[in-house]
Amino acid sequence: MTLGSATPLSDVVSAEALEPASGGSARLALGREPDAYVSPGSVQEVVEVLEWARATSSAVLPVGTGAHVGDRRAERPYVALSTARMTGIEIYEPADLTLTAKAGTGLAELGGMTGEHRQWLPFDPMDAAKRTLGGLAAAGVTGPLWAGYGHVRNHVLGMTVVCGDGRALRLGGRVVKNVAGFDLIKPMVGSRGRLAVITAVTVRLFPVPTLDRVLVLEAADLASLVPTARAVATAPTLPASIVLSLSTGAASFLVRLHGADETVDADQRMLEAHAGVSFAAKEGTEAEALLAATRDAGADAEVLLYASTLPSQLGALLDSIQGALRGVDCVVVADVAEGCARVAFSGAGYSDAVLEMCAGVEALGGTVAVHRCPIDASPAALSTPLSPDAHEIGEGVKRIFDPSGVLL
Amino acid sequence: MSQPPTPGSPVLPVPPKIVKRLSGIVGETHVITDPDRLLVYESDGLTAYRVTPRAVVLPASTDEVARVVEILHAEGIEVVPRGAGTGLSGGALATENGVVVGMARMNRILEIDPENRLARLQPGVVNAHLTEATRPHGLYYAPDPSSQSTCTLGGNVAENSGGPHCLKYGVTSRYVTGLTVVLAGGRVVQLGGAGGARHASLDLVGLFVGSEGCFGIATEIEVRLLPLAQGVRTLLGIFETMEDAGRAVTAIMASGLMPAAIEIVDQATIRALEASVFAAGYPVDAGAALVVEFDGTEAGLDADADRAEKCCLAEGAREVQRATEPEHRAALWTARKKAFGAMGRIAPDLLVQDATVPRTKLPEVLVRIAQIGESYDIKIANVFHAGDGNLHPNLLFDRQNASELERVEHASKEIMKLCVEVGGTITGEHGVGIDKRDYMPLVHNETELEMLRSVKELFDPDGLFNPGKVLPSRAAPGSESPAGMTS
Repeated sequence: MTLGSATPLSDVVSAEALEPASGGSARLALGREPDAYVSPGSVQEVVEVLEWARATSSAVLPVGTGAHVGDRRAERPYVALSTARMTGIEIYEPADLTLTAKAGTGLAELGGMTGEHRQWLPFDPMDAAKRTLGGLAAAGVTGPLWAGYGHVRNHVLGMTVVCGDGRALRLGGRVVKNVAGFDLIKPMVGSRGRLAVITAVTVRLFPVPTLDRVLVLEAADLASLVPTARAVATAPTLPASIVLSLSTGAASFLVRLHGADETVDADQRMLEAHAGVSFAAKEGTEAEALLAATRDAGADAEVLLYASTLPSQLGALLDSIQGALRGVDCVVVADVAEGCARVAFSGAGYSDAVLEMCAGVEALGGTVAVHRCPIDASPAALSTPLSPDAHEIGEGVKRIFDPSGVLL
Repeated sequence: MSQPPTPGSPVLPVPPKIVKRLSGIVGETHVITDPDRLLVYESDGLTAYRVTPRAVVLPASTDEVARVVEILHAEGIEVVPRGAGTGLSGGALATENGVVVGMARMNRILEIDPENRLARLQPGVVNAHLTEATRPHGLYYAPDPSSQSTCTLGGNVAENSGGPHCLKYGVTSRYVTGLTVVLAGGRVVQLGGAGGARHASLDLVGLFVGSEGCFGIATEIEVRLLPLAQGVRTLLGIFETMEDAGRAVTAIMASGLMPAAIEIVDQATIRALEASVFAAGYPVDAGAALVVEFDGTEAGLDADADRAEKCCLAEGAREVQRATEPEHRAALWTARKKAFGAMGRIAPDLLVQDATVPRTKLPEVLVRIAQIGESYDIKIANVFHAGDGNLHPNLLFDRQNASELERVEHASKEIMKLCVEVGGTITGEHGVGIDKRDYMPLVHNETELEMLRSVKELFDPDGLFNPGKVLPSRAAPGSESPAGMTS
């Protein structure tokens, strides 16, 4: 079958939209390569592409940088729709601490702009520097800073989206509190392009903390750090993030403290007393390098999954992961406060290991979600299945936003 | 306000055979059909709207709720969920064909899990009681609506409630991690739950929170708790005018500080409060007072308070006091949270508006709200969450005065239009309910409203959960003006 053979895509979008976008197809390992790439330059062009896709029974996969859409398999021809040409800040009023930007705007670019006003988006997902604002909202993966600041979904105030059938919608608004109607932003954040193409996002910003200090403890293995990690997670304060990391065979524990100098000093003293340890403290470029290395560890790995359970079961969760992946050179980055671990590795023969990990994590009452794996295995088949109710309601939401199933 | 339903609507009694079946589930004493007792349920906190329900049923468990809903829906009877009835948008207003299902008996905290900073509870638990119960563990529940001494978690979930300290900590949806819900026909469904795969599925918990009883009934709620703050600093900034106070809010937030709360109380409210049992020492000659609070690690709080004080003084505060004693702080907050009650000294009825604007628009919007009040000869008192830009103009009136009621409706609508024009929305935390239902077209076009209707139908295909709330009627074909916007 040829994609859209009756009406070529070039009939409905500008020639510019069909030029290959640089870096826009980094990891489209969905079982088949896209049959076409399109980079609309406007909401109207997104509408045109989706209406064309519906009319020609084609499928569309929305991508930001294309780095994080390996969680599904394409069973039919599809167009990769990149937001790379939809960039720029639409509204930024620093005194309001809110910002609206087009979906393809890079987080790095936004950080530069907001940093001039000592404001920032307090999210640190893997590959943060390469993500777009739309991709961040679509992925809904916050990173460990959720402990101190909350999830992405709590700080997306508004969106404009184009549904699978071409309907353009505004969800939410520009203000930090808004209950005018059911909260459709919540299912949209984290839907990874299955409901609609996100074309612009409004987010809440935060003041950059006066001091950003990372407390570090290193060890030969993760297990020996777990008691300290749990002690910090249950201490009477709220660190910005609490992370256990295993990468290239070395284990480390990182606690990020934000605030005024005297606040951070006091928090460090309290945590050291509470956990009975002495941390090495890093600040400035040294801290930034350490955080970036931990944040992006495993970003290019062939297999990427998230395993979750209750925070109190962190030790058992890590045991399950490491037991299933014994002998595999893997990256494990655990968000201690959330009880969630990101696991990344490359190599063949992983399916049995992932299934063994699933069984172990599920025995703890937890779940595994595979976000990326090589094309000869199905991420869904390796992940913990959703409950039938959640699946049914989720499919109902999908039908409302994308009645013809245009979006993969 | 939307057009109020006809007061004193005739009660259509529930057939005895259905009452008998409901009684068989919840017990005879927990099915209310006596017209005198039903009067208690004829309104919520928005007293301008009154409809007597056909009956009230008070179940005690998820199973009882499911069986009650199954019977009522099988008979085509509408179900109106109700928490404490403190809502300010008419969300728990009965319908003429409806039976109210109240959560008052489902008031148990089922589990407190300090290790994971979670609590599991029934929807009838009072908000403040949850914090009282978790305090011995060094934990608390962050969202703190002004009605927190009375309102329930189930109602908070339905309305996605806020509160003064949501400036720093966020609203209800940030803290709800899992729900057990009873959907149409009595189907019991689990949504979310800590430890689950939020990375794998759509956020259905987030979708359900704030659905105002239109999707179903939450019968168990799992919430995240926070560690109690080590210290707190509370400032009271005294200003000659509301505009000065509004500018101080912008200055504080733009300075890089992150207060836990910033609240504004205007002169009319101060005078009502200081004449009431809630008097807390707000100066009655002030044009406005600003309550600014910082919490967290003890070290550093004084420095934050100093910076906020400088912001206030730079914007014209005549004085900035500090509540150094816990009793003084408690009095300031009690007065702030009981302000709506104190309004009774000014007028017998009030309509609390809840629009939210970008914070930088506060000074301009406050001036224009005062002008709207003057133009309709309606007294307006302001007490609100300034840090969030979440306004609460209280329109004071006597509902026995038909002319005044009509002017209140016009003024209310103008305020909402104004707030939307400057980039805001019609409700920040009270919900749409019936009060703002007909103003939804101010913020949503017909395509967006149709999307909301579709989501409602997904959960409630027969439209038997809280009908008539949130969603306006479909616009007539070819109609130029959106539904409800005729004046």
